[in-house]
Amino acid sequence: MVKDDIILRVKDLRKVYGDNVAVDGVSFEVKRGEVFGILGPNGAGKTTTLEMMETLREIDGGTATIDGVDVAKEPYKIRGLIGVQPQTPGFQDKTKLTELIQMFAAAYGEKVNPKEFLDDVQLGDKADAYVEQLSGGQRQRFSITAALVHNPKVFFLDEPTTGLDPQARRNLWDLIEEVRDRGISVILTTHYMDEAEVLCDRIAIMDKGKIIALDTPRNLISALLKRGFKKKQEVQQANLEDVFIDLTGKELRA
Amino acid sequence: MSTKFYTVWVFFVTSMKRLFRDRMALFFTFLFPLIFLFVFGTISNGNKSNVSFEVAIINKSQAPYAKQFVQTLEKQKALKVHKDVTTLESANDKMSHKDIDAAIELPASFGEVKDGLPSGQMIVHYTQNNQASAQTLTTLLQAEASSLNNKLAPAKTPFTVTSKQNNERSLNAFDYTFSGLLGFTILGAGLFGPMNVFPELKKMGILRRLHTTPLRVWQYFLSNMLSNTAVGLMSIAIMFAVAIPLFHIKIVGNYLELFIFLVLSIILILGMGLGVGGWAKNERQAAPLAQILVFPQMFLSGTFFPRYVMPHWLQAITDYLPLTPVIDGARLITTEGQHLWQLWPQLLVMGVWLIIIYPIAFKLFRWE
Repeated sequence: MVKDDIILRVKDLRKVYGDNVAVDGVSFEVKRGEVFGILGPNGAGKTTTLEMMETLREIDGGTATIDGVDVAKEPYKIRGLIGVQPQTPGFQDKTKLTELIQMFAAAYGEKVNPKEFLDDVQLGDKADAYVEQLSGGQRQRFSITAALVHNPKVFFLDEPTTGLDPQARRNLWDLIEEVRDRGISVILTTHYMDEAEVLCDRIAIMDKGKIIALDTPRNLISALLKRGFKKKQEVQQANLEDVFIDLTGKELRA
Repeated sequence: MSTKFYTVWVFFVTSMKRLFRDRMALFFTFLFPLIFLFVFGTISNGNKSNVSFEVAIINKSQAPYAKQFVQTLEKQKALKVHKDVTTLESANDKMSHKDIDAAIELPASFGEVKDGLPSGQMIVHYTQNNQASAQTLTTLLQAEASSLNNKLAPAKTPFTVTSKQNNERSLNAFDYTFSGLLGFTILGAGLFGPMNVFPELKKMGILRRLHTTPLRVWQYFLSNMLSNTAVGLMSIAIMFAVAIPLFHIKIVGNYLELFIFLVLSIILILGMGLGVGGWAKNERQAAPLAQILVFPQMFLSGTFFPRYVMPHWLQAITDYLPLTPVIDGARLITTEGQHLWQLWPQLLVMGVWLIIIYPIAFKLFRWE
């Protein structure tokens, strides 16, 4: 069989809670080594879609396959193929970072050298620290490296930068790009348009359980402009975030 | 298959390390049962020195024999003579204040020599609330008198009674209480452990995260069973280490059999903890269920209160609570030296509960 260029296929995915159709026939494909963003207002069905692909929620209709494996039929096999970064990364307290990495690797039935994974995200000097001693940004970085201990093929992130300061946000973007450069496909949800524009190769915009647009950020913008859209305000060459980064620097804070 | 158990092992080791870094958890798992041990140990040790009677001896006789008799009584171990009380009036006063249990009066005629032999009758004075001790005291004095009679006027006694203690090693009341305390410790370690930990981990989103990994419920269950059983055994070992030298606990039975029985007991009670903790989404859901499971067993299974004081119908019901065979079995091994095969009635009840509890706990488990 020729190596499939598509790592993840979703077709007519549906999730129904009573009368409420949370996800209403969603279909899309994600290529290998691509960063795919799912955008949308709260309640649009982003997280539910993600959780169905992650095997956390039952699929009510349609199919999802990752690397040719059916999500509904072989959930345990799927869990070995994916890494998941939840919205709020929780780790048990009073446990050293090295022990947590070992524990996660063990959950996948693997033995790893924890130090390597900590060095990947500049946390090598925190090896013996507990998670509760880490800052928000450090915790996010740790969470990412912990989700990758088994070298997954697809990496899911649910609103990864919510609540982070601009430096930590930019650092996380760099990290996500590094993950992609390793050949891992990344699927993320976000509320930040700048984040989607910088990170994502393609974007799906969801509303009321349906995908209403799907393309590269550039194509989506030019399509809008072609329809004669004009911003009322004159576009500035810099914005407030540029000012903030210029004044405080890009260096990551603790 | 071996990697599946490697996973279990890593989770077990990690949770043990975590426990030993948590001072609060250490206090509740290890020190809390010890507090009860000290309370009950001290109470029953206090009881032991209390077997003697506090008495006053009112000697109204001038006879030398009476004086001699008073001295004999004063040497009696079972009697504690208040020498400051010399009149019946002050003795009555002391009795009404419960300072003394009874007064022994030797009348003026006591010790008079008639027909070459001294004779006399002592009178035991007591108040209504001291009836029981007065009766025992009377029996005791009667024994004293008959041994004297025998010396003075040896007589043939064709019928006699002697009593013989059958326990090779003498056990005190606390040896019985101790198995109740063991039950209490197992209840704490098995139920409170997972019932507090699971909902907490769920709240932190940790179980949800583990849910995204191929980790199986049975692996997570097994690692928790291992760590909780280890903790329970350590807690029990500490109890033994304290109770044997300090409260002179005697274990009649075989230690290996006791160990096996206790491991089984912990696993049984733990099943309930895993069920409730695994089901509850948060502490608020776990707490009421915890009360429902803990309190009946704490009061009706014989942890602190002996079950024989309960009415028969209640005993008949509480026989089948999971903790009852645990405490009974531990008691039969520690105080009567029974073997595991003799404990089949207890093991049968425990086995049935195991078969009921674990599938339910397994089914009820939720990752979030």
